[in-house]
Amino acid sequence: MNFLPLALYAAAVVVYAIHFAKRQPSIGRTATTVLLLGVLAHTFVIGMQTMEVRHVPFSNTSTAVSSFVWMLALSYLYLEVTTDERAMGVFIVPILVGLQTIPAFNPGVDYRDPVLDSPWFWVHVTSLLFAYATFALAAMLGLTYVLQFKEIKKKHLGYFYTRLPSLHVLDAMNSRAVAVGWLFLTVGVVVGVVWAAQALALTPDNSNLRAMSLQDPKIFIAVLTWAVYSFAMFARKTLGWTGRRAAWLSAVGFVIVLLNFLPVSYFVTTSHTFQ
Amino acid sequence: MQVILLGVSHRTAPVELRERLDFSSRDLGAAIQALALRPSAAETVVLSTCNRSEIYVVCNDPVRAREEVTGFLSEYHNLPETAFTPHLFSYDNESAVRHLFRVAAGLDSIVVGEPQILGQVKDAFQAAAEHHRTGPMLSKLFHWSFLVGKRVRTETGLGEGAVSVSFAAVALARKIFGQLNGRRVLVVGAGEISTLTAQHLRANGVGEILVTSRTPAHAEALAASVNGRSVPWNDLAQGVAVADIVVTATGSQRPIVTRAQIESVTGRHRRDPLFIIDVAVPRDVEASVGDIEQVFLYNVDDLQSLVQENLSRRSSEVERAESIVTEEVSKFGAWQRSRGAVPTIVALRERFDRIRRSELNRLDGKLSGMPPEAKARVDEITRLIVEKLLLEPTEQLKGLPDEETQVAYTEAINRLFRLRDGEPISQVDEGAAEVTPADRQRK
Repeated sequence: MNFLPLALYAAAVVVYAIHFAKRQPSIGRTATTVLLLGVLAHTFVIGMQTMEVRHVPFSNTSTAVSSFVWMLALSYLYLEVTTDERAMGVFIVPILVGLQTIPAFNPGVDYRDPVLDSPWFWVHVTSLLFAYATFALAAMLGLTYVLQFKEIKKKHLGYFYTRLPSLHVLDAMNSRAVAVGWLFLTVGVVVGVVWAAQALALTPDNSNLRAMSLQDPKIFIAVLTWAVYSFAMFARKTLGWTGRRAAWLSAVGFVIVLLNFLPVSYFVTTSHTFQ
Repeated sequence: MQVILLGVSHRTAPVELRERLDFSSRDLGAAIQALALRPSAAETVVLSTCNRSEIYVVCNDPVRAREEVTGFLSEYHNLPETAFTPHLFSYDNESAVRHLFRVAAGLDSIVVGEPQILGQVKDAFQAAAEHHRTGPMLSKLFHWSFLVGKRVRTETGLGEGAVSVSFAAVALARKIFGQLNGRRVLVVGAGEISTLTAQHLRANGVGEILVTSRTPAHAEALAASVNGRSVPWNDLAQGVAVADIVVTATGSQRPIVTRAQIESVTGRHRRDPLFIIDVAVPRDVEASVGDIEQVFLYNVDDLQSLVQENLSRRSSEVERAESIVTEEVSKFGAWQRSRGAVPTIVALRERFDRIRRSELNRLDGKLSGMPPEAKARVDEITRLIVEKLLLEPTEQLKGLPDEETQVAYTEAINRLFRLRDGEPISQVDEGAAEVTPADRQRK
């Protein structure tokens, strides 16, 4: 079922790439339409899965990735509609395609440990997935900032110069994305800690819950992520780390997020494997 | 009806002559009215910019119209004909159409792809329309040219990239700061390029413009012209510290803005970008200033080479623009031909309809017993038959590929159906109409 959104996202990549190269407004509108269709199809898929397993499917890595992709697509569409800026699509939509291949080829059954039947779990996961989606946006904004910066600084005004938004706009959007992401990351982590403590009191034998500590790589890296983004915000405000420094920091932050999201979730963690 | 065009442009005439033949600085309306007094022109548009004066005329007699327009130019501008006729170019029909499309697309401008010309073409048409000098032909032609201009701009890169130093500087500023609203500008030294750049920045909505110069009077004059404020020369370092955009153009032999100076005021990490445009020769700003993280330093050579790049990029787009023009010229030709076929089509339809009506009249006695609805039905059916018979020939006539074929076809149709030019259709011989194949069969 996850193939239809994957195909539509892939089609959107192609149209966004053509729009980026040719810069024709009509192609841009087509790109947005195709992406919107992808999001609608994806919404339908997630809706069907929810009906099937009777909870929002993000208890295993594969379904969580699918929800993450959906949120990133929505966040990007929001950014595009509010700024009327389509040049970022060619950088962000490929992430959707890359990640959507995971649920498409490895759907996994969203069996849920009864211990997760709590609204806190829902808040915890949704907040974190949304935080990760905005960090992905921030990273891509940072990457494009660096590309644009390089061309202007080196006085080689070329391919990206004419196509990308101004440095100011990219920096301002990056700053906003990091701030929103940080807020949701904080909420997600705090809710996770509180809820895990409560759940452990109720089911002291649950091996997952017993493994919840800073020594668990997944939790450690989540805290590290929080530290990186906190520093990024602090540095922007007080040390004047705007522009290229902020851009690199948000890129580094997202690499850590991805690392935690995929390899760590699949292979290393002992605490977050409720299967 | 034919379209002819007479005019001079930067390609054919020196500036002195163009000035003498210019309409734009004088009353264009009066010129249009004076031209309207010449009898041969049915429609006229006068297009006059600093690089061209062109007169588009729709007429029946091109030779006479040409003479009249030349005479008008001579009288109106008080110049003997011999003074300008060697520089006068003249096009008719397809080549006139092509010329107008190329002009509207910016292909005939000194700076290829410059955007003003399309507006000027629109104004010229508007002025003629206000004086009721435009008819179906020039209206269609000029509106078509607006579309060609727009198409070339959206589908090619012909108009892209700044082609003057001051515009290039403003375009860069916009890529660094986005909107320029509220940005603070410091202009150091008053020169031609710095003044132009300050004016363009002002037009793009920057906030405060501070001007400083070693000669306070220069600073004040420039400040007044760009609605800025002059500040003392001694406040230069402070001005650089608070500015977003700095334009330097002094005659100083040594750099007046140094890296140490900037770093001492803003520290090593500048929070906000600083865009320095150094148009002075020798340079006013130490080259190492460009190494500071958030500082973008462009000197006059950098800007000049951007302009060169843009110009060469534009010229590489010329071919694509020309092919759009060619395509549109042939589409316009097809429209003209379809219009040329209209009288034949109308005559043919009237002929068929007359036969239909006369046959119905003849049968009136036999049909008299029928109820009125049935009679209406018969009328409708016969009309539809005629419509259907003529549908394909009409389409074919409208879509003929060239003028020669069109003449041959209309000639053939005129003969086959005895359609005569200038004769009312009702006079086309009655006897022939009455003997229809159906009659013959009956006999």
